[in-house]
Amino acid sequence: MSDSSVLKKQNSLLKIWPTTHATAGATATPSGPSHLEDDRLEPSSIPAQIEFRSVTKTYGQATAVNDLSLSVRRGEFLTILGPSGSGKTTALMLLAGFVAPTKGDILIAGKSVAAVPAYRRDQGIVFQSYALFPHLTVRRNLEFPLEMRGIGAAERAKRVDSILERVHLREFDSRMPSQLSGGQQQRVALARALIADPPILLLDEPLGALDRNLREQMQGEIKSLHREFGKTTICVTHDQEEALTLSDRIVVMRAGKIEQTDTPETLYDRPMTRFVANFLGEANILEDLGFEVESDAAQPSGTVGMIRPERVCIAATGEPKRADADRRQFAIGTVDDMIYAGPLRKYNVRVGDSLLVVRQHVASGQQIFRLGDEVKLDWLRSDVRFVAT
Amino acid sequence: MQLLQRLGRLPVLLAFPALGVLLVVFGIPIVRLFLTSLNAPEFSLANYQMFLGQPANIRVLFQTVEISAIATFVCLVIGYPTAYVMVAASKPVRMALLVLVVIPYLTSFLARTYAWIVILGDTGLINNLLLYFGLISGPLQLIFNRMAVYVGMVHIMLPMMILPLVSVMIGIDKSLMSAARSMGARPFTAFWRVFFPLSLPGVRSGSLLVFVICLGFYITPAALGGLGDAMLSTFIAAQVQTSFNVARIAAASFVLLAIAVVVLSMLGLDLSGSAPSGQIARKSWLPRPPPFGALKGKFGELPMPYRAKRWAAHLYKAGGEERWLKIVGPAFIALVMAFLLFPEIVVIIMSFSAGAFLEFPPSGLSLQWYRSFFGDPAWYMAAWTTIQIGVAVTILSTVLGTLAALGLSRAAPQARRLLTMVILTPITIPVIVVGVATYLGLIDLGLVGSQTGIVFAHTIGAMGYVAVIVSATLANFDRRLEQAAQSMRAGPLQTFMRVTLPLIRPGIIGGAIFAFVHSFDEVVITSLVSGFSVYTLPLKMWENIRNEVDPTVAAVASLLTLLPVLWMIALYLTWWRSRPQVNLSISEAKG
Ligand SMILES: Nc1ncnc2c1ncn2[C@@H]1O[C@H](COP(=O)(O)OP(=O)(O)OP(=O)(O)O)[C@@H](O)[C@H]1O
Ligand SMILES: [Mg+2]
Repeated sequence: MSDSSVLKKQNSLLKIWPTTHATAGATATPSGPSHLEDDRLEPSSIPAQIEFRSVTKTYGQATAVNDLSLSVRRGEFLTILGPSGSGKTTALMLLAGFVAPTKGDILIAGKSVAAVPAYRRDQGIVFQSYALFPHLTVRRNLEFPLEMRGIGAAERAKRVDSILERVHLREFDSRMPSQLSGGQQQRVALARALIADPPILLLDEPLGALDRNLREQMQGEIKSLHREFGKTTICVTHDQEEALTLSDRIVVMRAGKIEQTDTPETLYDRPMTRFVANFLGEANILEDLGFEVESDAAQPSGTVGMIRPERVCIAATGEPKRADADRRQFAIGTVDDMIYAGPLRKYNVRVGDSLLVVRQHVASGQQIFRLGDEVKLDWLRSDVRFVAT
Repeated sequence: MQLLQRLGRLPVLLAFPALGVLLVVFGIPIVRLFLTSLNAPEFSLANYQMFLGQPANIRVLFQTVEISAIATFVCLVIGYPTAYVMVAASKPVRMALLVLVVIPYLTSFLARTYAWIVILGDTGLINNLLLYFGLISGPLQLIFNRMAVYVGMVHIMLPMMILPLVSVMIGIDKSLMSAARSMGARPFTAFWRVFFPLSLPGVRSGSLLVFVICLGFYITPAALGGLGDAMLSTFIAAQVQTSFNVARIAAASFVLLAIAVVVLSMLGLDLSGSAPSGQIARKSWLPRPPPFGALKGKFGELPMPYRAKRWAAHLYKAGGEERWLKIVGPAFIALVMAFLLFPEIVVIIMSFSAGAFLEFPPSGLSLQWYRSFFGDPAWYMAAWTTIQIGVAVTILSTVLGTLAALGLSRAAPQARRLLTMVILTPITIPVIVVGVATYLGLIDLGLVGSQTGIVFAHTIGAMGYVAVIVSATLANFDRRLEQAAQSMRAGPLQTFMRVTLPLIRPGIIGGAIFAFVHSFDEVVITSLVSGFSVYTLPLKMWENIRNEVDPTVAAVASLLTLLPVLWMIALYLTWWRSRPQVNLSISEAKG
């Protein structure tokens, strides 16, 4: 989607929700704003900001989330990434209020929500299975959150029409959820989470059930929705690509603990632990090579060298030295395996007792190495990172 | 709101109303009964010694077990192939057969028992036919003997054997059989080594179910058997009504209960061990879970129509050894269905008899017995009383049972397992024991001989059915839908009314129907607690069958055979109607 069309969409949406948070109160049912409960988090008055303070959740012996501390800025798109069972969903459910922390506290907009039940937290949630109400049509599904806020029928119809337009599902409004495809259901779920304009949006593996193409398409959709609505968004996924493309910041979780929190770029370029380096992209751990790894920086204790496959150059052993040879480290190895992957060629090269992965962009006139060939690898010393083991 | 929030946090509280009623009406009395049987506070086994010291008692005890075991075995031998052929049949055929099995299951068992009196009696169908063809010169003694007991009991219990078997067999991954065949197993080997072991849970639950009901249910044996075919439960019932010696009754009840518990734990515990994930569903040895089992089977069937189809196709592939199934299977099924349904037809014909006594085929046709039913206040008032009680039981047990199911579905697994067992006790143990305990409980409450008392007595069992059926529905209910609703600011009550209730409504309605059927058909407990002052229709029928054998009971019975048709329509409207969506979502997910 081009920028101008985004802008146009944004304008049209702005017309429907001029100052949305204010209208929510103004258009409420006859009972008026007093109908709203006292402990409701007033979205307009305080910037949405989420803070986990040493939150722990245990189930019997098992610890699902362990001493988690995290704060999310207003309007930020934060992704929680981690392997299966690392506590991602639990963290999200803690925030949503469906699970109570064993220890610690969660603050939304500066206020503890320990005593606020889920149905007063005002968050839009997209569940992994979408959780569309199977007994209600698409339209009635979308109206549900508006009804719960006491918004009148006319206003509901208007908002539903506009959001259906936005997610390209105009003709589907009288269908039952079971009559929609996976991608359509997903869009209804997103629309339903957004329609009441909650300040916080929680997505639990929103694209997990979709095939690759559709997933990429929906990633674009989510990104543009985030740009338009500017909601504080927390998204859980175990798809690293999704995390890298969507997020302002990524939290990598492992066994209930935060391993590292950073922007996608920092996380990829400067992983702090071996786990993060391996989990996000591919990593060559420089150990058992048969020689010492050199680097510009001093190696802290308890760490090991790491270099990304695309930073390693591969050449024939006889090739002349390069101009910047003094800033590089060399290694001689034998080709163990070669995988051709379209624009890329992936070599596994045995150096000492370990296998290094090299990724080479296919270009014309390139020398292609065969299994068993002796090759020379080299990399810039400044590209070596030290990660905690 | 405050209360709702607390309930949200401690959902198990939702089960407390049901548990409370159960405790007062049944729980406390049965503990007291047990203490009495031990001569508390002195504690001695004197009552048991006295009971077991009489050879007559030993004989009856042995006979009770023998009759129950043989009836169960015959049911299994007939029921297993029936279920197998049903499962192998195409889906529409299977559905039709299921309906044919469920109809007798839902029909008043007194009506069905009466049918056998008509068929087997001295001037009944068989004797008259044989006489007509000159094959015999005088009527054979077909009734009031052990054979008649077995015929009647198997007829009554067969649906309860078939339904759990079908529900388990439908869940068996049919591609396993194909896999075995592809590995070179012959059809019978594939069946014996793969299918049969997987169907064992159904065999166990069906057998336990039938066996335990046989132990406590004495009506059919008493109606069709001779004096020498009495069951222990008959003695207990007689003693409650005549010489009320609590200690002796208590000892006899607990001997019966002990047999049930021993059999249950021999097969039942093993059963729960073989079934992973503390599913309530697996406690299928409960008396009468078949409707629920069938329901569960129906749900389980949905995700695998494809596999099942492939399997059925495979089974019927014109391979030589399998062709026999094509001929023998339908013929066998036709026989079983005739055995199940023919008696109902006999009763309907009988009800139009013009004769003054039991005689089949009737010598002429008339509506006199219907006139006699609608003209006799004793009859139609009994019907009215039964309906009143049934409606009250339905409402009470549906509310209590649904709340309990909701609470239990949210409780911790151990608590859930324990409390489920407690709530289902009244439908898990021999009914005569429940009757005796309830009788004591209602004496304490001063409710013996009142409609209210009968309502409570029925409710403790009926709410078990509701809890089982609603639990099955809840097992298929995605809790995330509730969370989704809450994330959209729906409070607990709104969430329940707008999301949970509409989605579990089929289960609740199904539960309500079974609650009503349970109450409408109940005679064992009712006869104990009615105190001869409240007459329900089953009581009146029972009395009529025992004493006069006047065909008015045929008119009542044939009216009662119409009821299951009503139930089937109601079930169809609630269950089948909600199906297209499910099917669509599956084809959608596949496509
Ligand atoms: N209700 C529960 N009872 C017991 N243990 C639980 C419960 N919910 C989660 N856990 C455990 O807590 C841990 C974290 O679970 P969680 O669902 O948060 O993982 P996840 O990161 O979302 O995994 P996935 O990527 O597979 O969805 C797991 O080990 C899980 O088994
Ligand atoms: Mg998860």
